[in-house]
Amino acid sequence: MFGKTYSAKPADITKKWVLIDATGLVVGRLASLVAMRLRGKHKPTFTPHMDDGDNIIIINAEKVVFTGRKREQKVYYHHTGYPGGIKERTAKFILDGRFPERVLEKAVERMVPRGPLGRKQMGNLRVYKGAEHPHAAQQPETLDIASLNSKNSRIA
Amino acid sequence: MARVKRGVTSHAKHKKTLEAAKGFYGRRKNTIRAAKAAVDRSMQYATRDRRAKKRVFRALWIQRLNAAVRELGLTYSRFIDGLAKAGVEVDRKVLSDLAITQPEAFKAIVEKAKSALPA
Repeated sequence: MFGKTYSAKPADITKKWVLIDATGLVVGRLASLVAMRLRGKHKPTFTPHMDDGDNIIIINAEKVVFTGRKREQKVYYHHTGYPGGIKERTAKFILDGRFPERVLEKAVERMVPRGPLGRKQMGNLRVYKGAEHPHAAQQPETLDIASLNSKNSRIA
Repeated sequence: MARVKRGVTSHAKHKKTLEAAKGFYGRRKNTIRAAKAAVDRSMQYATRDRRAKKRVFRALWIQRLNAAVRELGLTYSRFIDGLAKAGVEVDRKVLSDLAITQPEAFKAIVEKAKSALPA
């Protein structure tokens, strides 16, 4: 009964390259769309155990926006492993620092299921600050997230 | 009366258990003690999961349909509503298969569902 249900084989999978300009986009709304595409849940052939999502390139990742006062108030915690070693940083601190793209990366990472497959799919995500990216040879298609929903972007 | 020795039966039983434990991890595939417990448990899982399988697959068809239908500008829930109103009785398994193998036919069904929805 279930044997006939389609299951994508490695040979059937074609991974597209998608380019997203994150300028002015809301972090969480963007991340959820990116996570969905990384997992391949936008395809009618979605197969949960296969890596059949897209390769996604994000540029201008430092120009993402938070709604409300989250830029100042959202706190990222990490633990050093030592007693009392919990550290915190605000979104603003990271966005103004050396690696502002980590805000978006973290948001997507937390939306992709943790596990071997999730880590592999995170590898298909490439986030860059600034407008440059080294994947021109892959001829990525541009995806306009702002036009999908008026709430996806904010004029800062 | 002939004396019964127990080695033959217990060896046969152990063999049966160890055969069923092939491919298990670590000691579970070699030692009878660990294998016995593991095989008992695996049978419980198998019984449970033969029932769960029906739900898992239905969930997968729904996820696929949702993806397919969104490409055509509907959501899954509105699509199913539309189908019910249009009186289409094709089930989710066939629909999700159609969406993959015969996109044209699937599109026709989606249009039918769309036209049955109030605008």
